[in-house]
Amino acid sequence: MPERLSFHIKRDSALHHLNPLTKLLLVLTLILTAFLAPFYWTPHILAVLFIPLLSILGKVGREYFSTAIRLILPAATFLFAMQAFFQPVGEEIIFEFYFLDITRESFLFAFSNAMRIVVMVSAFTIFLLTTHPSELMSDLTRRGLPGQFAYVIISTLQILPQMQAKAQTIISAQRSRGLETEGGFFKRAGALVPLIGPLVFGSLVEVEERAIAIEARGFTSKHVKTSLHEIPDTSTDKLLRWFLTALILASIGLRIWLS
Amino acid sequence: MAFVNFQNVTYKYPLTKTPVLKNINLQVNEGEFIAVMGPNGAGKSTLCYALAGFVPHFFKGEISGEIEVDGKKSSESTLDEWVLNVGLAFQNPFNQISGAKYTVFEEIAFGLENIGVPRNEMKDRVDEAMALTGIRDLADRSPYSLSGGQQQRVALTSILVMRPRLLVLDEPTSQMDPIGTREVFGVVRKMAEEGMTVVMVEHKVEWIAHFADRVIALNEGQVLMEGKPNEVLTADLLPEKGFGISRYTSVARQAQQQGLWKQKQLPVTLFEAAEGFTSKGGGGSN
Repeated sequence: MPERLSFHIKRDSALHHLNPLTKLLLVLTLILTAFLAPFYWTPHILAVLFIPLLSILGKVGREYFSTAIRLILPAATFLFAMQAFFQPVGEEIIFEFYFLDITRESFLFAFSNAMRIVVMVSAFTIFLLTTHPSELMSDLTRRGLPGQFAYVIISTLQILPQMQAKAQTIISAQRSRGLETEGGFFKRAGALVPLIGPLVFGSLVEVEERAIAIEARGFTSKHVKTSLHEIPDTSTDKLLRWFLTALILASIGLRIWLS
Repeated sequence: MAFVNFQNVTYKYPLTKTPVLKNINLQVNEGEFIAVMGPNGAGKSTLCYALAGFVPHFFKGEISGEIEVDGKKSSESTLDEWVLNVGLAFQNPFNQISGAKYTVFEEIAFGLENIGVPRNEMKDRVDEAMALTGIRDLADRSPYSLSGGQQQRVALTSILVMRPRLLVLDEPTSQMDPIGTREVFGVVRKMAEEGMTVVMVEHKVEWIAHFADRVIALNEGQVLMEGKPNEVLTADLLPEKGFGISRYTSVARQAQQQGLWKQKQLPVTLFEAAEGFTSKGGGGSN
């Protein structure tokens, strides 16, 4: 059976027990400070010191570092190289490679931009690792997000792996009837055609049935929805949210004031 | 006044030329367990959708006549109000999983969340419904990791937990083994005895004969026959119209032609057949 599409890891940590909205605000604060704070070293400190500490606090350090090494660092390195080589600023050349060169300014610019991206992706990664998607959605629904919107997000996460499995079944069925799916690029591309029809039209038919099924269970009922799981929202959460809001305002304020 | 009342209901889907339901008149009493059978294209599923309010509120199309459940008219109601009274579970269990929940327990609670049942009551009701259909051990599994039969039980439980006054089931046991089928029929019978009205589309005639109060044979959008299970299921008309019938009925009918079956009534179940062939005046002794 295919796994569900969720990064969430069930652990018992301070970060797991925070309200999803607080965590979402924390992510936003990290991103905004990394991009807006007027001090050059802010994104670097966040990326190298704060984010790893946060992942350890959330007891997802191992998972975070493995994602960072396999995904975030290569992407950031690539971004750094592109910007460092092609940013047409500065005079003082510190590295040359045929027609490509890096200046002091483009190096610093590219480095801090790469770090900002690291902070952004890392913050989201830790958020996803410590937050169950349905918990996030029920919390946001409780705070006024339309139920339909939350449903679309959550069901997509669940239904994608199912569609993947179905695509596999269709491919196997077509192969058993003699369709060649291996070989060169064009052969493989051609093999996709008999897959797309059944998959797409089949899914459209399913949508109707699923709509009936959830409607039969009161999905559009005008009652105020309740939630099976109680989602924690403590006074610590509220305090933390005020603090984070203040931080966001401060970094915006500083930016405007110093520029 | 019957609990469910169809008066001259004729219905046509938006893109079809001929009506799917033709002039249907139907009365069901409260707490009655009705089985509906019929060949493909007889309008069984459409009848279910009409009972559950999806015809015409969801599918649109042209409808005439009047559908009433519990004294309320479908035409004067909205779908979201209607489903509080009428629960629907249909054939394909995979498409009945909401997709919004990660465990079976949450899946069953989905409907209760939607209609705003308080948390403690919700947990009790989900527990109770799962115990009833015998799926307590599946509570923490992902609904997508279950077999077809298990998913069908989850779909049935998800509707039962909402405690509808009228339960509409469209082939709820199609992917189940005989044991599962027997259990589902048992649960449905129990609900009917507790006052829930049940309309169930089903092909498994032996189980219908054993559990249902009344059978409606639907053909080409019209009610062909209705009555006590044994009268309808043994009627000569059914095999002529392409209905699946019990093998025991077929055997006994052949035996009757050769003078070997001497009872008045043809059997539907194995038990009735054995009894008929062996009892006094039966044909089994020679």
